[in-house]
Amino acid sequence: MRRAAGHRIGLGLIVCLLDTAPMAEPLSGEALFAVACEACHSLGPEPDHRIGPPLGGLHGRKAAGVRGFGYSPALQASGWVWTLPTTVAWLSDPDAAIPNNAMNYVNALSAEETQRLAEWLLAQP
Amino acid sequence: MNPLLSRRQLLLTSVAAPFANAQSIGIGGPVGHKILVIGAGLAGLNAALILEQWGFDVEVVEARDRVGGRLWTLDHMPGAPEGGGNVIGSGYGRVIYRAHELDVPLRTPPSALPSDYQIGGQRIPRSDWAVADANPLPDDWREIHPERLLAKLNEDNPLLKTRAWHHVDLMAQDQPADVGLRSLGFPESAIRLINANNSYGNHLSDTSLMGLYRVLGEFGRLSGPALAVTEVTQGNMRLPEAMANRLTRPVSLNEPVLRIRQTPAGIKATLTSGRTLDADAAVIAVPLPALGQIALDLPPDRRALLKSVAYHKVVQLHCIVDEPFWEAAGWSGSWWTDGQLGRIFTRPIPDSTRHNMTIWINGDDCDRLNALDADACTDMILSALWKLVPEAKGVTSVGQLVRWTTDPFAGGAWALWKPGQAGSAHDAIRAPTGRLFFAGEHTAEAYRGMEAAMESGERAALEVLRLLA
Repeated sequence: MRRAAGHRIGLGLIVCLLDTAPMAEPLSGEALFAVACEACHSLGPEPDHRIGPPLGGLHGRKAAGVRGFGYSPALQASGWVWTLPTTVAWLSDPDAAIPNNAMNYVNALSAEETQRLAEWLLAQP
Repeated sequence: MNPLLSRRQLLLTSVAAPFANAQSIGIGGPVGHKILVIGAGLAGLNAALILEQWGFDVEVVEARDRVGGRLWTLDHMPGAPEGGGNVIGSGYGRVIYRAHELDVPLRTPPSALPSDYQIGGQRIPRSDWAVADANPLPDDWREIHPERLLAKLNEDNPLLKTRAWHHVDLMAQDQPADVGLRSLGFPESAIRLINANNSYGNHLSDTSLMGLYRVLGEFGRLSGPALAVTEVTQGNMRLPEAMANRLTRPVSLNEPVLRIRQTPAGIKATLTSGRTLDADAAVIAVPLPALGQIALDLPPDRRALLKSVAYHKVVQLHCIVDEPFWEAAGWSGSWWTDGQLGRIFTRPIPDSTRHNMTIWINGDDCDRLNALDADACTDMILSALWKLVPEAKGVTSVGQLVRWTTDPFAGGAWALWKPGQAGSAHDAIRAPTGRLFFAGEHTAEAYRGMEAAMESGERAALEVLRLLA
């Protein structure tokens, strides 16, 4: 009994601490790109040392559209064009969007963050 | 432009107008937050670099006398073999990015020599495998080499189509791997061979089939040039060293953490040295066996879960071979055995006539070796080596014994998933608790190995940013 009571006190303390944790402002699309995308994707026009294709000027571009980048056959055959709905779908679950793609990425962002990231990304020249 | 200011401006002017005054404060983060990062492996260092880029005041403490965690280049040996993480996959985007950013050159590793076999006490030349009497496999399996047997799983691997390895629809596969392999038609002889040298489980009966699908899926999605791997030219340790050197504050070495308490204002860490550190949040980026030694405010079920995750047992004996003794005897130079020695990987030392030879024993076969002291362990392995290849004696010397399981700051080589854990444990072990955030390869979703560590550090940094940016 004594131990159980101790556990309850411990859990109560943790809940209390969670309640007092500060809440930050939502992260911007640019910030989300910098943390979650930039290691593999530049915003330039051409492939560089990163393993993913560059994402500058993405809006309205055909999937697998950067010359010189080795896209997966699945992406090449997808017929996708990058718009807000397709970009959100792709970022949310790439495997569901275009099976057999080569991007080994599991989305760690919330739905709102994914939307914000996609909107920002598509606005980049 | 100062990259720190650039990052901070980007964060503040975009979304955090209330913190705009902090933009002119200079170093110290948008609101002067301090983050404690525990563990200076790739996970902790990547989290630290990202958070520092965003202007947080970051302090990294490390229990060992070096950074790198389970990257450990044996610099004191000719050829500087890797005692820890050894290859960088072509898809390790974060590792490759950091290496490029920090001017850490990568190279194609020298290839290991091909393996011959020692099965049931019989030596089998590689080219004779399919027809050798000692090949225990049934007729329609005989041409598959032992090291390729597990890859048969990719003929029906659900994780070739999706990376959601703990999706509820797939949880029927979260079963003991030996049971699963039998149901898929693997013969007992194949299961025995897989068990002999399985890098992804200590014993198949105690390993989730889903865990194996996950590993095999990662390989199965690659082909052609994508299968190429690299390593850091001067040793993989140079990458975490460069990452640590980029940080504003030096990593505090030899500082194991004893206790972390959460307070309404932040966290307070007590180190075994007696130092106490206050911070607004902590990223804990250590393997679970090491985490278990830190007193934390965690609910009992969470603590029990952390202790339930198994780690892969690995014993390596790193040797130097002065002369290629295998040539006169007609052998290839590496061996794959179903006996005590496990696998022997031999590779040439560039610009030298000598070779690095690593005897790599894993799984439950390590138990009796780990029960011995280092000298007795080394002697037992060498005795087996002289028995397997008497020609090695006299031209082979020991450089380093590596035992990850008995290392108190590792507890094993990497996390394994028991049957039933793929669906439940993985999410739970990484969930933030108040101001405590968790990183490390065991918490990664998409990758394993070095990239998993980097991925996890990135995710933990994102969680901190959500709370405090």
